[in-house]
Amino acid sequence: MSQIMPSARQRKTRTLLFWAVPAVLLLLPLTTNPYTQFIANGMLVSVLVTLGFTLTIGNLGQLAFANTAFFGIGAYSSAILAAKLGVPWLLTIPLAGAFGALGGFLASAAALRGIRTYYLAIITLAFGELMRWAYLHAKPLTGGTDGMPMPRETLLGISLTDDTLKFYIFLAVTVLLVKATLNLMRSHFGRAVMAVRENEIATASLAIPTARVILVTFMWSGFVVGCAGALFARHVGHVFPESFGMLHLIASFAMVLVGGLGSVLGAVLGAVLLTALPEYLRAFPGMEELFFGLIVAGVLVAMPMGLASLLRRVSPIFVERFYREAP
Amino acid sequence: MKKYISLLAAAGLAASPLLAQDAEWETEGLTDDAITIGVMGPFSGNASSYSKALIGMMAYYDKVNEEGGVHGRKLVAVQEDTACDSAKGLAAAKKLISQDEVFMLQGNSCSGVALALRPTIEEAGLPWIVAHAVSDSISDPLAGNIFHGVPTGRANGRAMAAFVLSKPDTSNVAIIEHSNDWAHSYSNPARDYLEENGVAPSLELTMERGQTDATAQVLKLRQEKPDFIIAALYEAETAIFLRDLKKYGMGDVPVMGTAGTDLENTLKRTGDFDTVKNYYVIHSYVDNLDGPLMQPWGEMIHKYYPDEELSTFSFVSIGSAEALVSALEAVGPELTRSKLMAALEEVRDFDTGILSDPITWTADDHQGVKGSAVAGFVDGEPTVLKAWGQPY
Repeated sequence: MSQIMPSARQRKTRTLLFWAVPAVLLLLPLTTNPYTQFIANGMLVSVLVTLGFTLTIGNLGQLAFANTAFFGIGAYSSAILAAKLGVPWLLTIPLAGAFGALGGFLASAAALRGIRTYYLAIITLAFGELMRWAYLHAKPLTGGTDGMPMPRETLLGISLTDDTLKFYIFLAVTVLLVKATLNLMRSHFGRAVMAVRENEIATASLAIPTARVILVTFMWSGFVVGCAGALFARHVGHVFPESFGMLHLIASFAMVLVGGLGSVLGAVLGAVLLTALPEYLRAFPGMEELFFGLIVAGVLVAMPMGLASLLRRVSPIFVERFYREAP
Repeated sequence: MKKYISLLAAAGLAASPLLAQDAEWETEGLTDDAITIGVMGPFSGNASSYSKALIGMMAYYDKVNEEGGVHGRKLVAVQEDTACDSAKGLAAAKKLISQDEVFMLQGNSCSGVALALRPTIEEAGLPWIVAHAVSDSISDPLAGNIFHGVPTGRANGRAMAAFVLSKPDTSNVAIIEHSNDWAHSYSNPARDYLEENGVAPSLELTMERGQTDATAQVLKLRQEKPDFIIAALYEAETAIFLRDLKKYGMGDVPVMGTAGTDLENTLKRTGDFDTVKNYYVIHSYVDNLDGPLMQPWGEMIHKYYPDEELSTFSFVSIGSAEALVSALEAVGPELTRSKLMAALEEVRDFDTGILSDPITWTADDHQGVKGSAVAGFVDGEPTVLKAWGQPY
């Protein structure tokens, strides 16, 4: 690792900064209209999706693309629990996370069988497509191509269609999961994850149970993205199979790369930037896709390690111990 | 008494900002010389070809503006991209409503997006005319501010069955369809219409997407000898099915297809006129696309969009734009959102001159177009038909 590690004082500053950002964000609804608030809510959903994705692909180093499957599983679990069983939506968030973790368990089976690189990529892509097929064809449960509308619900007398209320819930869930992930990655377990990425055989020779590390990382990734799915279901208010296809996967992958592969800070930056960018590009009708592609390519050419690497250069407080800079 | 007057005055004062707010909401997006209309469509992404469906409407706005507008107000379209994606569509709707503050909305392809938008737009309360998406659930159950300006899936399905039963002595009807919701959106209303008229489908078959041979289905049909076949299949599978029908000597059995297929394109695919000579499709217009009744509309589009390559989609939104302008004219210069919605509910049997069926919106039913014409080959020429043997 070539970065200068933060001092004890800088780590303290980093902790303060971590809590200061959401504290400032609490005031955000005072400055937004329903449109900009909706976009801000979408950013929080994207942060969790990107965070879960970067765990398996960046931190664990597995070329696994089951992220969109976890997202769909979370969204549909939340919608089905709320619409069919009358479970309050707030309660569906951890439950959707649990179903996402179950998806992670299933997706890890291929990795545990020793399947790696492109083969793992294809198997996990197929898993995503299989799930999409299930959403389309399990019509009594999922609504088929018509999708599933989320039931109308209130919380403390406020309708859950209210974007400001949703923002505070999304923010709380996002902060909780980002903090939990940071703690997990800074722990002994996080170092084991890094070790698996660097050299799985060498890690196993140190009596680290690599299979368990892979399994738990996939499941935590599934949990985080499953929770994001539950937030997405309430964010859009209607869950459709098309929302969980290849386009979503590519967009999430771009967020991971633009932010910085394997970096929690990068996941946040990539998600925020690439959720906001298409909205700014609305001003160039017919050219959005071109500009979007050019900007993403430009960022990656200028900063191959993503936006997080830029911040690391500014100050060591942005250095993540579990993150590996490019050689 | 004095106390009551004071109370009344206090209540009046308290309510005045609310009343002012209501008045402001009623005329949001309206100036002395412009009515802003939010137009949402898939202008990017995989389904961007559907954005052609909004061209006709935009050209009609341009035509009205060139003629002086409506009561001196120009129709100013504010376009937003949905990319046929529900999250992006919602962002577009929220932008148009809360940031651009448009007076009303018109447009929308992609039923899935329109379904996702419904709760937001219903809550916002501004008028929304759906000009392309066909899912019945967009406007049913009734929402006071949502109006459907094209035939819905149900209307098309029933029109298919009505045409089938208009052929004399038709009692044996078979259905072949894909096993997806798109096909069911046509076949289920068709089935309902048949049953309401005492005809139960004699045979129901499926043909999956991507299937390149229909021999098994055709052999079953040959045993059943149906008078008419309803085919809810995409164009590629329709061509295969028609080819195999002819191959097994059933080329004379008429087949009724959906609006998802085009008569001449199907002929191009099979390359054999005999395969399509008894094929009929749902056709929402009064004439063939190159027919004399459609020609002025094509010229109108080309006047404002010279590069537009005309297709079936190019014309689909014109009818609802005409109905909107008619309602705006009926309201008069003192326009408000409530007055416009009330005027839209008074639109009765409105002949658009382009859609085969008129538009009628009432307080209880906002699905304005209840039927559709059919196109088929008559004496070798593509012809628009009202019923079996009856040219439009």
